[in-house]
Amino acid sequence: MTRQVENEVPDSRSVLALVEENSRLHMRLAEAEETLQAIRTDEVDALVVQSVIGPKVYTLQGLDAETMRFRGEMLAQVSDAVIAVDRDERITYINAAAEKLYGVTTSRALGNTLQQVYDLRWLNPTDEVSAHTALGDFGEWRGENIHIRSDARELNVESSLTVLRNIGGDATGRLAVVRDITERKLHENKLQVSEVRYRRLFEAAHDGILIIDPATSKIIDANPFMTQLLGYPHSDLIGKELFEIGLWKDEHASQDMFAKLKLSGQVRYENLPLERVGGEHQDVEVVANLYEENGRSVIQCNIRDISERRRSEAHVEMLMAEVNHRAKNLLAVVQAVAYQTARQGDPATLMTRLSERINGLAVGQDLLVKNQWHGVDVADLVRGQLAHFADLIGTRVSLSGPKLRLTSEAAQAIGMALHELATNAVKYGALSNQEGCVDIAWQTLPASQQTFDMSWVESGGPAVSVPTHKGFGHTIIGRLVEASVQGVTQIKFEPSGLMWRLTAPLDNAVNPGGPASVAV
Amino acid sequence: MTKTPVEAAAPVNDTAHYSLHLYVTGGTVRSIRAIANIRKICEVYLKGRYDLDVVDISQDPMRAQSEQIIAAPTLIKTLPLPLRRFIGDMSQTDRILVGLNLYPGGAALLPRGEL
Repeated sequence: MTRQVENEVPDSRSVLALVEENSRLHMRLAEAEETLQAIRTDEVDALVVQSVIGPKVYTLQGLDAETMRFRGEMLAQVSDAVIAVDRDERITYINAAAEKLYGVTTSRALGNTLQQVYDLRWLNPTDEVSAHTALGDFGEWRGENIHIRSDARELNVESSLTVLRNIGGDATGRLAVVRDITERKLHENKLQVSEVRYRRLFEAAHDGILIIDPATSKIIDANPFMTQLLGYPHSDLIGKELFEIGLWKDEHASQDMFAKLKLSGQVRYENLPLERVGGEHQDVEVVANLYEENGRSVIQCNIRDISERRRSEAHVEMLMAEVNHRAKNLLAVVQAVAYQTARQGDPATLMTRLSERINGLAVGQDLLVKNQWHGVDVADLVRGQLAHFADLIGTRVSLSGPKLRLTSEAAQAIGMALHELATNAVKYGALSNQEGCVDIAWQTLPASQQTFDMSWVESGGPAVSVPTHKGFGHTIIGRLVEASVQGVTQIKFEPSGLMWRLTAPLDNAVNPGGPASVAV
Repeated sequence: MTKTPVEAAAPVNDTAHYSLHLYVTGGTVRSIRAIANIRKICEVYLKGRYDLDVVDISQDPMRAQSEQIIAAPTLIKTLPLPLRRFIGDMSQTDRILVGLNLYPGGAALLPRGEL
């Protein structure tokens, strides 16, 4: 009985469950009623209907779901990012490319503002105003700016904005088609840097550079040095062929070069006579290369002015010939000096005398080499030969004369004569005691033929007597020096001291054009 | 005495994390409006503690079937329990707030400018 009563009276837990279930069903019912009410009052714009092939979506306004899906799929396939916003700047559409570009998902982006997807930075402060003006006036704007993603990555983009309007023509939002041009910009920037760098090389090069179209053989660009080299202004070079600007002598020669270039890709001409605009010639080296530039061939011609190099080479050749000539001469002189010294001198002092004379020759030789065989200053020659008595110069030995440069031949002979005179003065003459003096002077004398005059006058030395025999030293200060300059010498053994004088035609002894105004 | 809805009478839920799913149909006017309205509500009342998943059923009809969606726009609150559904463009803010248990019973309505 009791059991039966217990079965009929529900416990409190069952009652609570029933209440909850009742509440849930009420809520579902309320929701169903709300849904029906919403459909009746036109608050929904799509219905999902079950069909044999699955759920089908019917929209209640405008395009049906199929058309919308087709349109959505098309936009999803577009590689540019497409974003639509409403008048409150909230995103109403975002395609797959935009999701990828900005690193967002559609469900996160929809309804959010653009600022939550990216920050905008204008490239120029005026762009923002012009974009607003264009959208207001024409309903569209196209331009470049920077979009900064939420992860701070900056994107260079090209945006195309269009104002969206309803049937009544009122603006309902904007559609943005955004193309990521970051890579392109990066390449453009690299290209710009490269262009500036190589343009600078081209502009500043100290070689002439011509860019030529091989199809027409005409010049399409030339650097500033090329205009300097040829004397033509830049505008006169453009469109010309090489033979027209004096680089090749005629059209045939020019065509020959192009044929060789097309065959081997590079040609080199060591020495071409370039004719400048004024007709003067200039030696140039030409290196031409054929290469590809954006799928078409171009020729780059580098033209180097080799005038200086040619002058240098000619100078070296001249020096080599001069050295060869001098070496032979010197050997002949040494041979003669050795022979004469041996024949006329004391056998006991032969080696000493020979060595001294060769040293005298070497002093002159050093000065010649120092001056690259362009002669020797008289004063330098005198000081060189009197180097052992350098401390006497200015006291017991006086030098006076203008700055004159002796020819190489004259310097060699006069140098040897000065050496002999100095040796004699030390042994027997004015420099053999403590009081004697030597005056060495040179000058140019105006006459019908200008004359070089040089003298060595000793005084205050031991009494001089005329030597009983004339040795090789006498030959050197006499006949040898006379022969070298076709001059005349006077040698007097005055009681007061030795006097030596050389006069010779100025052109035979002195280098033409040498300065003659500075006194020693 | 005005009868207060059960949920509205309950204490305001100000710590729970909300999981919301909004089912829309492409770029129709109501769908766009519904997205904008629910975002505003979430940003004002649930900032930092909600997930909103926007689903375009024209692109994914099977999703509509699995969630038993019969019309769009529809918002479903899956968390916190109990599950609730709202139909329309989400412009009836008061009703949505009550349904989401975010509206303090008896308190004055928030000024419209807030949204």
